[in-house]
Amino acid sequence: MSLLEVKDLHVSYDGIKAVRGLDITLAEGEIVSLVGSNGAGKSTTLRAICGITPFQSGKILIEGRDIRSIPPHLLVREGISLVPEGRGLFGRSTVEENLMMGAYSRRDAEIGKDLEKVYSLFPRLLERRKQPAGTLSGGEQQMVSLGRALMSRPRLLFLDEPSMGLAPIMVQKIFEIIRTIASTGMTILLVEQNAKVALSLCSRGYVMESGKIILSDSASSLLANPQVKAAYLGQ
Amino acid sequence: MEIFLQQLVNGIVLGSIYSLVALGYTLVYGIMGLINFAHGDVVMIGAMVTLTVIRLLSGSGLPGPLVVLCGLGAAIPFCMMTGYLMERIAYRPLRNAPRLAPLITAIGVSILLQNVAMLIWGREYLSFPQLLPAHAFPFLGASISFIQILIVAGSGIMMACLSILIRKTRLGNAMRAASQNAEVATLMGVEVNSVISITFMLGSALAAVAGMMVSAYYGIAHYDMGFLLGLKAFTAAVLGGIGNMEGAMLGGLLLGIIESMGAGYLGTLTNGAMGSNYQDVFAFFVLILVLIFRPSGLLGERVGERP
Repeated sequence: MSLLEVKDLHVSYDGIKAVRGLDITLAEGEIVSLVGSNGAGKSTTLRAICGITPFQSGKILIEGRDIRSIPPHLLVREGISLVPEGRGLFGRSTVEENLMMGAYSRRDAEIGKDLEKVYSLFPRLLERRKQPAGTLSGGEQQMVSLGRALMSRPRLLFLDEPSMGLAPIMVQKIFEIIRTIASTGMTILLVEQNAKVALSLCSRGYVMESGKIILSDSASSLLANPQVKAAYLGQ
Repeated sequence: MEIFLQQLVNGIVLGSIYSLVALGYTLVYGIMGLINFAHGDVVMIGAMVTLTVIRLLSGSGLPGPLVVLCGLGAAIPFCMMTGYLMERIAYRPLRNAPRLAPLITAIGVSILLQNVAMLIWGREYLSFPQLLPAHAFPFLGASISFIQILIVAGSGIMMACLSILIRKTRLGNAMRAASQNAEVATLMGVEVNSVISITFMLGSALAAVAGMMVSAYYGIAHYDMGFLLGLKAFTAAVLGGIGNMEGAMLGGLLLGIIESMGAGYLGTLTNGAMGSNYQDVFAFFVLILVLIFRPSGLLGERVGERP
């Protein structure tokens, strides 16, 4: 059974039909990218799955279980974690407070251990743990957002434009880290406008346009697809 | 010098009360960007409920301080309930409305509370019976009454508890997260609606205590006593930087001291043309100055977030 299954999802907000009949599946341990141009409905899709934008119809199943009736704040306990577009940090709180908020729903004894793991993944954050998160550079903020998402011990990690607004060298670094996270067997859905980098990291990809999936294939075929090349790879 | 010290003491006492009320404004503003203009009237409800219980118990022979404590014990939950219902009924339906709508609603709630209070408790000034020891202690040439000490100590303890709650507890973490980014807080597992309810109830509990203090201090309570007090506490919150807790405490104290000093010296300064009855002018003079020269308040400097 797939870990995540989205069937015929429709999402409208402010009178705009942003997602119209979207289908996506993710198997355990897969890293899949969702690419598409600005306004294709990628972020809305993630927001709907994570419960912060209500959806009108369709089904979202986690291990076959419909999550529609689960209140948004409890979805994190189902193993869902989102690194939101624009990072969504608590800017006045310190780096460590931000990271610890990721573990807000947990009550187990291993939170401290996971915090150490995050710091070993991002040594820069350890240096800056007492600093307000809003004063960090864009790349460091993205690290906090990633680290915070990991602190909830997700089974399903959604990344919304993690490279947005970052310097090229930082983009590289962030994608390296995503690769590291993926190698631990985490299931990841990566939304990116930077289609080339995203697809090179993933095994499969979906191409989204006007609220629908228009293409679904292995990453290598998508990278070779003339239509994709012309529209999203700038070739 | 004696006047100075005495006015300083009076100012700190008055300021402690302002701080307690200002915290209610600032907590709610911090979490939902709303200036709850009905907050001053919750203070009035606190005073009225305290008085009602005190009158019921006046013939019982219980010691005075215990009677006051019973009044407070009733006023706190009553005000918390008022705050909870106010948010639930008046503000929650407007959560996603333009900001002007909840603001006007807050003014409406304020009028409603005053009128309901007038129906229940009447238009007359109610007197607060002499239940607390009235003696005063000399202090460096000034005098401090028992009730003044009680007010300063009581608000100090309440503010310390609130600080610990917000800084050290799970609920405090949730409140701080929700005030910075409600949506992301939800993703982390915070139930933002209940955090908002709790915030209203916390602010209202402080208001109840302030209501008891203010009516015991001045010896009277009245259905519209919350209006001016609320405006002044709001001024204190803006002075300190609205949304900032330490700012509310500092702003309250400062405003209290400024007012007392103004009242103490205005007569001398204007050669008797204006007396201490102009005391209320100072709060709003301060508000205007802050809004012109430092709209973000004394401690209201926010950490900029890089895009």
